[in-house]
Amino acid sequence: MIRLFDILVLRLRSLFGRTRVESELDRELSFHLDHLTQENRAHGMSADDARAAAKRSLGGYTQIQEECRDMRRTNYIETIWNDLRYAVRTLARTPGFTIVIVLTLALSIGANSAIFSVIQGVLLRPLPYPHPDRLVRIYFNSDTQPKFPLNPYDFRDFRQRNRTFESMAGMTRHDVQLAGIGSEPVMLRGFAVSGGYFGTLGISPARGRDFSFDDEQPGRSRVAILSDHLWRARFASDPGILGRTIKLNTESYTVIGIMPPGAQHPGNNFQAVADGETVDVWTQFIFDEDPKYRGSHYMDIIGRLKSGIGSEQGHADLSAVLEQLKKEKTGDGWRVYLIPLYQETVGRSQRMLLVLLGAVGLLLLIACVNAANLLLARSSARVREIAVRSALGAARGRIVRQLLTESMVIALAGAALGTMLAVGGVRVLLTFLPADFPRASAIRLDSTVFAFTLIVAVLTGLLFGLVPALTASRTDLQQSLREGARGSTGGASQLRLRNFLVVGETGLACVLLIAAGLMLHSFVNLLRADPGFKPQQVLTASLSLPYPRYHENSRVAFYKQLIANLQLLPGVESVGAGSDLPWTGYDGNMDGWRVEGRSDAYNDKTTARYHIASPDYFRALGIPLLNGRFFDGHEPEKGPYVVIINESMANRYWPGESAVGKRISFDDHPKEKDWIQIIGIVRDVKDQPDSTSIRPAFWMPHSQQTDGNLFIAVRSSSDPVLLANQFRQAVRQQDPELAVADLRLMNQIAGSALSTQRFSLFLIGLFALLALVLATFGMYGVISYSVNQRMHEFGLRMALGARPWDLLRLILSQGLTLSIIGAATGLLCAAGLTKLLGTLLYGVSATDPLTFAAVGLLALATTTLASYLPARRAADADPMQSLRAE
Amino acid sequence: MSKPSDLIQGTLDLLILNTISLEPQHGWAIAKRIQQVSNEVLQVSQGALYPALHRLEQQGWISSDWRVTEGGRDAKFYTLTRAGRAQLRKELAQWERLSSAVGLVIRMGASA
Repeated sequence: MIRLFDILVLRLRSLFGRTRVESELDRELSFHLDHLTQENRAHGMSADDARAAAKRSLGGYTQIQEECRDMRRTNYIETIWNDLRYAVRTLARTPGFTIVIVLTLALSIGANSAIFSVIQGVLLRPLPYPHPDRLVRIYFNSDTQPKFPLNPYDFRDFRQRNRTFESMAGMTRHDVQLAGIGSEPVMLRGFAVSGGYFGTLGISPARGRDFSFDDEQPGRSRVAILSDHLWRARFASDPGILGRTIKLNTESYTVIGIMPPGAQHPGNNFQAVADGETVDVWTQFIFDEDPKYRGSHYMDIIGRLKSGIGSEQGHADLSAVLEQLKKEKTGDGWRVYLIPLYQETVGRSQRMLLVLLGAVGLLLLIACVNAANLLLARSSARVREIAVRSALGAARGRIVRQLLTESMVIALAGAALGTMLAVGGVRVLLTFLPADFPRASAIRLDSTVFAFTLIVAVLTGLLFGLVPALTASRTDLQQSLREGARGSTGGASQLRLRNFLVVGETGLACVLLIAAGLMLHSFVNLLRADPGFKPQQVLTASLSLPYPRYHENSRVAFYKQLIANLQLLPGVESVGAGSDLPWTGYDGNMDGWRVEGRSDAYNDKTTARYHIASPDYFRALGIPLLNGRFFDGHEPEKGPYVVIINESMANRYWPGESAVGKRISFDDHPKEKDWIQIIGIVRDVKDQPDSTSIRPAFWMPHSQQTDGNLFIAVRSSSDPVLLANQFRQAVRQQDPELAVADLRLMNQIAGSALSTQRFSLFLIGLFALLALVLATFGMYGVISYSVNQRMHEFGLRMALGARPWDLLRLILSQGLTLSIIGAATGLLCAAGLTKLLGTLLYGVSATDPLTFAAVGLLALATTTLASYLPARRAADADPMQSLRAE
Repeated sequence: MSKPSDLIQGTLDLLILNTISLEPQHGWAIAKRIQQVSNEVLQVSQGALYPALHRLEQQGWISSDWRVTEGGRDAKFYTLTRAGRAQLRKELAQWERLSSAVGLVIRMGASA
């Protein structure tokens, strides 16, 4: 290996240090010459004679030079250069052919580069933290909850008692309102984090310091760290802001640090915020609750394992700590669930990306086959040229090399153009990318992508160039020259090869079409499925009432007043407020509540999403009532408590009976006043449009379960966009310091919930369409080639009485045979491959007969069409002319 | 490609490698040495010597550098590399085998 490398270096030196090598050679030979001359003089010759004799005996000076050069193999490279020039000249002579082949390759290579740049950014590039492989996410799970956040005190015990982690940090969503500095108040996306949070990630503030453990204690002054973009946008990049206080949620926070640009949020699960530069401000999490009550779980934990420790060891360690905690009467029913940060971040997009890579890979393969087909057609047109060159003594290897150089030139031109397409393509991809797509910010065309493109181009060139080159160079010299003289081309074996290629191309295209068809089918299913609510004509927004100014009662009063004011606006039909909106990834859960009359064992396993709703919440969102009644807004604060549940909860916990009137309780030993009565049942709404199951859920009236952070939904009889300004005004009227956030139409929310599916459908569909075009093109090429070849025969047939229709049928059946074989192969392969689509499909089986049949027919129809054009030409031809042309 | 030579193909490489195995030499000295040691039987033509040197260098068996000769002139000296030494051993063994085989055949032929 080392020797190979040395030789390579020597060759390169010979090639690039050419002038130096030449001059050295010159000096070496003249040294020799001088010695010869001296020797001759020693034998008694005159100076001139001696030199002349030396020159004679040295032989052809330039010949030696040339041979030395040969030995240094620089000629080899010069030959390549000549081949290259020849290739470019030849390709330029048939611009139509060259443009078509380069364009098809550019499209597929470009698509590959674009998709690879996404894969590179999302899957291959390391996470933006030092030693990212040591970072893990720590969750709980249980029989009812697959992945659950921790209680802050459980986290603190983990942090104190573990032995395998270098450090550990917790974070919880804490959006805050920044009071207007001469402008409107804004909601900032924020997290409250434990001490040493940034240290655990391995990043540190550009100015100032990280949160410390001291800051976690109650009673300390509140501290905050700003993101770089917030610091620039809101504080004019003023370094003096360090140490000053700012008002967040009307409370004073001291700014202790400013993060550098590019400092990324690792993504979190509970009240999720996508990863990237998505967080505006971090505040200190303060442990100020009672550690005895650990029922509420809201902390996302991230841990950095000690060097050399695997996540299994970390898991075992934390499980042991959890066992200790259970002995201390906490953490009951939970297990530790550890997942590497990388997997957590990219896990859900991995399959889609690999499917996309597979799809573009197929597309490239089709483009290769197509290019091979075109080259074959052309090489048969060049049979004479090649025959003449072999007759003149060109070795077979030399001809293969020449033809391969041509395909390499084509491939590299395709790659160059493809890269340009990819530059634009990646930009388009990024705008189409679903909003919460992991690591979107890491996607760009970089040197790795360019290297990938180059390798792909070279492999492509070899792949599609080798077969035609070998075939062409194998041609029988005599026959070619003879056949050439007669004006006909190629042979039966060539046609067989081309038929084979076209069958392959059709088959591959069918695989892609099936994938696209299944995804289209899924997408239609998703669009047609009843979402359980009516997203049309609803304006939504979120408000967050800062705690110090709004206590329990004043929150209820505020929202009541706001809803009443909004209701008066023209065109407004109903206004509701609630803890969340459908399809926004809300994941608040309540487990282990009691059902009246059931055993403790039964109640331990109960689970449901908990929500809060105002009386008109369901009406505003168009969620129908199935049984019972909605809240009336007069539920007394101190009970009797009431709740509305969804169908799934009613069916799971009261199967076969009416749930209305039944009671549940959140208290382990409920007194009469602790019971909550079910007053209504509403239609199920899925977490996400493609969720396969629906979780039980209940809603508590806002008057009994107050919250300052609510979403508002306004249903209007006219265009809800027009209400946006009036909405802001209504809020400002009540509290000028309150920020209106997330102002969106419910339609937009529903649309973006399908963005992942739309994105993958769009791309796979695009690739499938390209594949179909290429396959049609290939079919056209083959049929039209064979028609050209048989014109003489057709003329003869016509002369002997065949009608145009007979010829048409003959040729069409040839095309049809090929496409039937191709489509059948493709459908069979697809049946095996579509299982890989897995969760990307919704409501359709991976071997959906309808899709398979439709794609089969589509493939047959287009390829038949492709063979119709040449068939028509044959049928329309004047037999006399065809015969005479020979 | 190569010029007609008095030497059997391939033996020139062996001779060159062997000649410089003792100490680095320049082209002229290599040619002279082969000539002298073989009692003027083996005449290395310059047209064969230099291409061979360049080929051996490209193979990585010898390396070259410019040194000053005893006469005070710059000359390109060739040195045997580690890989070259291994190659020399291989070629010597091969040569022994070949020459003894040829010798055997000739003697058998003479006795027949």
